[in-house]
Amino acid sequence: MTASVAADSLVSLAAREMRGGRRSTAAMLVGPATIFVTVGLLVPIVILFRYSLNQFVPGKMMVEAWTFENYVLFVTDPYYTAAFYRTLRVAVIVTVLCLLLAFPLAYKLARTQSRYKNLMIMLLVLPLFVGNAVRAAGWMTLFGNRGFLNVALQWIGITSEPITLMYTEFAVIVGILAVNLPYVVLTIQSVLEGIDRAVEDAAFNLGAGPFTMVRRVLLPLTLPGIAAGAIFCFILTMNAYATPVLLGGPQFVMMGPLVYTQFAAKSNWPFGAAVSFILMTATLILTAAANLMVQRRYRNSM
Amino acid sequence: MSNKMMQSRISRRRVLKGASAAVGLSALGAFPVFGQNDKKIVLSTWGGDYAKLLTKHVSNPVLAPQGWTVVNDEAQVTQRKAKTVAEKRLPKGTSDVQALTATDIAELTALDVLEPLDLSRFKNAPNIIKTFSIADSPLFSPHIYSGKVVLYNPKLIKDVPKGMDSLWDPKNQGKVGIVDIQHVYTTMAAALVAGGKTGDFEKAKKALLDLKKLKPRIYPSNEAIAQALQTEEVGLCIMWKARAVQWQNAGINVLTIAPKEGVISYVSGFAIPKNAPNKAGAYAFLDGALEPSVQEGFAIDMGYNPVVRNAKIAPELKARIGFTPEEEKLLVNPDLEFLAKRMADLKDFWDKEFKAG
Repeated sequence: MTASVAADSLVSLAAREMRGGRRSTAAMLVGPATIFVTVGLLVPIVILFRYSLNQFVPGKMMVEAWTFENYVLFVTDPYYTAAFYRTLRVAVIVTVLCLLLAFPLAYKLARTQSRYKNLMIMLLVLPLFVGNAVRAAGWMTLFGNRGFLNVALQWIGITSEPITLMYTEFAVIVGILAVNLPYVVLTIQSVLEGIDRAVEDAAFNLGAGPFTMVRRVLLPLTLPGIAAGAIFCFILTMNAYATPVLLGGPQFVMMGPLVYTQFAAKSNWPFGAAVSFILMTATLILTAAANLMVQRRYRNSM
Repeated sequence: MSNKMMQSRISRRRVLKGASAAVGLSALGAFPVFGQNDKKIVLSTWGGDYAKLLTKHVSNPVLAPQGWTVVNDEAQVTQRKAKTVAEKRLPKGTSDVQALTATDIAELTALDVLEPLDLSRFKNAPNIIKTFSIADSPLFSPHIYSGKVVLYNPKLIKDVPKGMDSLWDPKNQGKVGIVDIQHVYTTMAAALVAGGKTGDFEKAKKALLDLKKLKPRIYPSNEAIAQALQTEEVGLCIMWKARAVQWQNAGINVLTIAPKEGVISYVSGFAIPKNAPNKAGAYAFLDGALEPSVQEGFAIDMGYNPVVRNAKIAPELKARIGFTPEEEKLLVNPDLEFLAKRMADLKDFWDKEFKAG
């Protein structure tokens, strides 16, 4: 009895040690990344938050203080709240459009038997090889008053005067959509790859039409990929900088460029810090909320 | 088992140690060691063409023969200003020379971070044109200048403009372009058009709101308006004469006039931080930049005017980049005191009222 207890405790000790060993290996692997995240992300966030509580005095840049006046200014000034809602609106529109456009493409890519599949994926990724600013420059040549689109429209005779495309919300949405689409397609496609084709056939066998099959089988199964792609797209849009500046022009202010202006054009670090903190927090809360909603939905559908 | 565990623990510690050492080292690496060599000058400047031309015309031909080595620290001016202010408390800063504009000097004056310049250390000081004299603005050694002129496309603007008020002329509605990043100078121009001085902010505001009613097109940058001028989307704006020269060279159909209200000067130059590690080198650089050969080089390569009288500019170049003696009389320096105090207000007004919807 005692011997078996002793043996038991020995076994459990060994097991514990083994777990301890695993734990330290895990710590070894996680360590550098943790340090990197702490030093490279958390510390700057803390500093940024501290800055956001300081006071801005023209000519002195930043005066140390403990005040919430920068946050109050943001929520009470319609110029800044408008920039926030504009950013939110663009992010939601872009995310919805991205999902609508990405899903069929991702499905086609995941299900294709073509020997050119790798080439197709390469073609999809290819735009990512070019920086955002360069791609925006491409759109500029397309959207200008004498740009390709306007010249073409007038040549065909659809319009007689150039229509304003540059420096509009439309241009910004198209520009960001083009930047984000490959990410979303790839995220959804990778999830679709893992879904057995047999479940689709089963649905068809049981009498579901294509739309019912997608709605009741494919979409719920792809939900994790859709959620990941949407979150990705949403965060990228909320924080977009180059595209809104280049295609939105000076009068279309989104949050990313707003942060930059505070630091660079006004030397107003405390307010710039507050704006970036608001942007970060809002993005985080909305993303977490969306994630929670999807998770709940996902659990129900399974 | 426990042996193995020990091993893995040790290696984890090693990894952690190694990682923290790496982080520490990289943090150290972020602060370059300056001022160790007393023949080294750290020049903090804008990057791009300007930095290249400083190396080509000042650092290599003028300072290198005197034994100086110039190291460039290139960044946008706002970052450099912030850095200079942040370093205020240090006994030794990280730069010897800061390339700034007259309006930057305004901002830094109140912060007490710049060295008042000792005129006796300038061989070239007596040659400086009076408008830009160091004696009048003792924190700033001028380097090159241009001025705000009215730029127009003769094909679109039939009546030759006389002044900046042509932008406010309803006849020219739809042809006027404004550059967003030129908000400071555009506001000062509006003050002049309204009959005030460059620092009359209230007059400027009223004039800008009048201009807004005519719906001028607003472009983000000089490059963007250059494109709009080329495609004839707009045909009238206020712009640096030096830029106009560059665009004429690029084949854009534009002419310029010196506005009757005044030619607001743009002066770019240098200052020495109070805690510069190598002040002797800094003075050598500031004085070297005033050499006639340097001034001539910048006129040819960049289209900016010499700030010294003894630089020799070919007459046809002078005719394109420079100002006639009558036009020189129109030169107006920005009200630096106003800018130092109201820069943020000015930008707020520009963003929230002038540009908004």
